[in-house]
Amino acid sequence: MEMTSSDVWVMAHAAQISLALALCSIAFGTILAVLLTPLAFARLAIARFAYRLYVFVVRGTPVLLLALLTFYALASYWGRISPYAAGVVVLTIYLSALFAEIFRGGVLAIPNPLWDSSKSLGLSRRSIFWRVVTPLVARYSLPPYLNVCVMAVKASSVLSIISVWELTFASREIIERTLDVYRVLAVASVFYFIMCFAIDRVGRWMEGRLAAKGFAGEPA
Amino acid sequence: MIEIRGIRKSYGGVEVLRGINLTISSGEILALIGRSGCGKTTLLRCINFLEEYDAGEIMLDGELLWYRQQANGPRQRASEKELARQRQRMGVVFQQYNLFPHMTALENVCLGPRFGQKVRAEEAERRGRELLSRVGLSERLDAFPAQLSGGQQQRVAIARALAMKPQVLLLDEITSALDPELVAEVEDVIRDLTTENIAMVLVTHAMSFAREIAHRIAFVSDGQIAEIGRPEEILDRPRDPGLKEFLRRIR
Repeated sequence: MEMTSSDVWVMAHAAQISLALALCSIAFGTILAVLLTPLAFARLAIARFAYRLYVFVVRGTPVLLLALLTFYALASYWGRISPYAAGVVVLTIYLSALFAEIFRGGVLAIPNPLWDSSKSLGLSRRSIFWRVVTPLVARYSLPPYLNVCVMAVKASSVLSIISVWELTFASREIIERTLDVYRVLAVASVFYFIMCFAIDRVGRWMEGRLAAKGFAGEPA
Repeated sequence: MIEIRGIRKSYGGVEVLRGINLTISSGEILALIGRSGCGKTTLLRCINFLEEYDAGEIMLDGELLWYRQQANGPRQRASEKELARQRQRMGVVFQQYNLFPHMTALENVCLGPRFGQKVRAEEAERRGRELLSRVGLSERLDAFPAQLSGGQQQRVAIARALAMKPQVLLLDEITSALDPELVAEVEDVIRDLTTENIAMVLVTHAMSFAREIAHRIAFVSDGQIAEIGRPEEILDRPRDPGLKEFLRRIR
């Protein structure tokens, strides 16, 4: 049996859910990473250690395992929980570790002389953070950040394991019904491609905007 | 006005400053010369506390800078807020300009007054425009550092330091990174400032410039001030053997 055009519509709907899951997780993951990154530079050794442990554990665990672990852990604590909510939590945790490492790299990329000039101008720590560190880290981090965003869309497919109905889950349902394996998978990959391509375009546009604001790649 | 007493500083067991004593009066221009690695840049960085020092003290108008003296206890680093406030009384210009690459010339100049000294935005901008036109860059207010030549970037950096209305200007080899034909435009800006009653400490290799603008020249050798005096004394009638040797080499 061949897949029908209504199957494609179903998959389009599932793709929207994939995208929504990814975008939510990217948003929450970014916020969490922004809170985590300062820990990596904290004066307190315990804070730096906590940061490294978090990144080490999250990054070192397959997303699949992380998904199962989070889902069952949340479920045993709260009873029945929405797999979608659990899915966003899983991806948020996963992305926050990757984003935090990217932002940490961005902070390290700020040339020492710029710290000197910030200090010599008598700027407060807060002003240095908002006026110097944040805009520079945003610029340095954007390309690897987008890379991870694209990964997030694809990583959302793993959530089918905890019964999140998204593009991969829907594709499997249609395959099981129609046995039209290759066509269904081809359509699914086209949807994934479109989503990733869209994120890439938005990212390029942002890079272009920041570059137009005088950032020539090589600082100072 | 600035009193430096017994500054010592070592890096991993090597003592780079071995008890520096210096007094710089208000409006005085002092040039620091010496072989590379002699400690002159480190000294300049210590004056602005970009480098912590192990011993000694620095006073500005009688105020102890960077540390708080405990009653017969060890000295204690001043709070970040204190450090920021004290740094605002000095301006620093670096060899590599160190402009913020994501800000225009005007934004670079306004940053310190606006967010360090909490000056109102309009006032900071007015001051910024005035200073940039003074260093001959009124046409390039909205240019980003990457769009400016080295000489222009350094002039923005000087305007940025002046925007804090500093009592002291610390200049660290500000023409060393420039192409020879761009040196003059930066030197002109500094020359123009000599009437301002701002004390300046400049680390330099440009002897003729030092001779022209400095009131005194200090020869730093091995982390100490080996000889200090008026330019003609230091450059024409050196007494210290190390200084004689240094001058012979650079001529």
